[in-house]
Amino acid sequence: MSEKNPLPFAKTQSKAMLLWVLAVLIGLPLVLPSATLASEILIFAMAALACNLLLGYTGLLSFGQGIFFGAGAYCAALLMIHLQLGLFSALLGAAVAGGFLALLVGALAIRRTGIYFVMLTLAFSQMAYFVAYTLSDWTGGDNGLLSVPRPEIRIGDSVLLSLADARAFYGFVAVLFLLIFIGARRVIASPFGSTLMAIRENETRASAIGYDTRHFKILVFVLSGAVTGIAGALYAMLLHFVPLSNIDLAMSENILIMTIVGGTGSLFGSLLGAGSIVLLGDFLSDLWPRWLMLLGVILILVVIFMRGGLWGGLASLFEKVRGRRKAVVVAKEQGL
Amino acid sequence: MLNLYLFQILNGLGLGMIYFLIAVGLTIIFGLLNFVNFAHGAFFLLGAYICYTAVSLTGSFWLALLLAPLVVAALAWVIERLLIQRIYHLPHMFQILVTLGIALIIQEASVMIWGPVGKSVAVPELLRGVLVLGDFVYPYYRLFLIVFSGLVGLGLWLLLERTRFGALVRAGSESTETVSLLGTNIFRLFSMTFALGVGLAGMAGVLFAPLRGAQPFVGPEILGIAFVVVVIGGMGSFSGALVGGLLVGVVQSLMTTLWPQGASLMIYGAMAVVILVRPYGLFGRA
Repeated sequence: MSEKNPLPFAKTQSKAMLLWVLAVLIGLPLVLPSATLASEILIFAMAALACNLLLGYTGLLSFGQGIFFGAGAYCAALLMIHLQLGLFSALLGAAVAGGFLALLVGALAIRRTGIYFVMLTLAFSQMAYFVAYTLSDWTGGDNGLLSVPRPEIRIGDSVLLSLADARAFYGFVAVLFLLIFIGARRVIASPFGSTLMAIRENETRASAIGYDTRHFKILVFVLSGAVTGIAGALYAMLLHFVPLSNIDLAMSENILIMTIVGGTGSLFGSLLGAGSIVLLGDFLSDLWPRWLMLLGVILILVVIFMRGGLWGGLASLFEKVRGRRKAVVVAKEQGL
Repeated sequence: MLNLYLFQILNGLGLGMIYFLIAVGLTIIFGLLNFVNFAHGAFFLLGAYICYTAVSLTGSFWLALLLAPLVVAALAWVIERLLIQRIYHLPHMFQILVTLGIALIIQEASVMIWGPVGKSVAVPELLRGVLVLGDFVYPYYRLFLIVFSGLVGLGLWLLLERTRFGALVRAGSESTETVSLLGTNIFRLFSMTFALGVGLAGMAGVLFAPLRGAQPFVGPEILGIAFVVVVIGGMGSFSGALVGGLLVGVVQSLMTTLWPQGASLMIYGAMAVVILVRPYGLFGRA
């Protein structure tokens, strides 16, 4: 992305931001009719956040996020079904699967930049779909992978917390989301994150300074893949099921659209984007099965009228309000 | 056995020529307009559906073959004027996103109009039956595919190499600013080129319809294949699209006999190999 998109809020606001996230995490299940819907929002927010690391902070437009989402879902489900692994091992497996595939896709796709990179990620996304379709003995093919368990949190042999209840599962997802959110903010604030943004702004210059930009891009790809894999695994546990659509191109597109609608300038935007798209889908899909059409319209409208996404819109609104207040203060100080 | 391979190679050439038509449209648009049309697969699908409607209304495949690409091209022209022209000044990413939005709208609109189940289109009467040469048997329609798309390809080459319009497109691909400064209405050229490239995708959809029918969710698959073709052949190159298209078509056809489930998979494998060996494609420039 060549359009400048600096973080709209300075460091002093970072605590406030965390409070906002906490408020959303606590508020979601209270406001929404079901904790399952709230969990779905957070799971997609996780995936959108990982996509945002690539798109918003490194300037990489990836149509391959569905690969990692689907791989995480399949991997965790298979580990739990065939090896009876517990919750955390399954999630770890999903992160490793997502990260490893991201390494493969990244290493190949990053050989080309710009438009070719985008096309390659899309082609690999199609490839992953056909792999899942072909390996129907493992993935269930068109029927999907059925009866995925949702294991309880255990320490040793004693059950600490059962996640069978939708609210308990939401709590677990919320804690994971918070950890990932904080982690992602740390990454962005670190020198590694600054280098990513330097690549976004001007890759030639970043590599001229001496950074091995390919190395950085692959690394952020792996990070994004691992987080997306965890999101996929959680989604499989939520649904008790891995449909083939988890790994198809539409999944990649959805994650991308959530990220863009939310706004690529901020991680909080990903939460906004995932929330609005999931809610819209939940609301409309019963009323109008072809609601994806509306998603296409929204995407076009966002590009034409609101390129900062929901977050960008909110941020400029805040700026305006604060600007006016500041103007009043200045005016008073000057005795006007 | 040898006949079987010959059969599949011919099939692959026919399929490959369809892929060529798709990819060359993508390439021409990219060359001049400098963005990738993510709605290309959706326009292909629209071509197939309009063909279905035209055939069921008029009973003539030939009329459909004439009309459907024109209708698709006209639609593309309108979309370019109304929407895409507004976003040329933005970074490429935004053109991609807008065309992705268009693709979603076309796909869902097609399901609304024609229903979620695919429609089949009969092979035109003239081309039913098979060619028998000794013990080699080959369907006429597939033969027609190779010849017809070959002729279209030739016509396109002549258009690009021998006409004023073609010269402008090629010059514009090198530098739109210079062409514009020399007094050409560059935006009209953009609209026409976009319509031409998309019309080719529509024509490919028509030609494909008697083979596999019109399927509502085939867009992403076609888009993926078109990307594989241009990644293998090199973007912005006519010969790259031709060789890439034929290669992908033949690989896919041959694999159908050897490993049916993996046929779609293999073309992506081929792409990965090309990326590793020649990152800029077989005919691409750095």
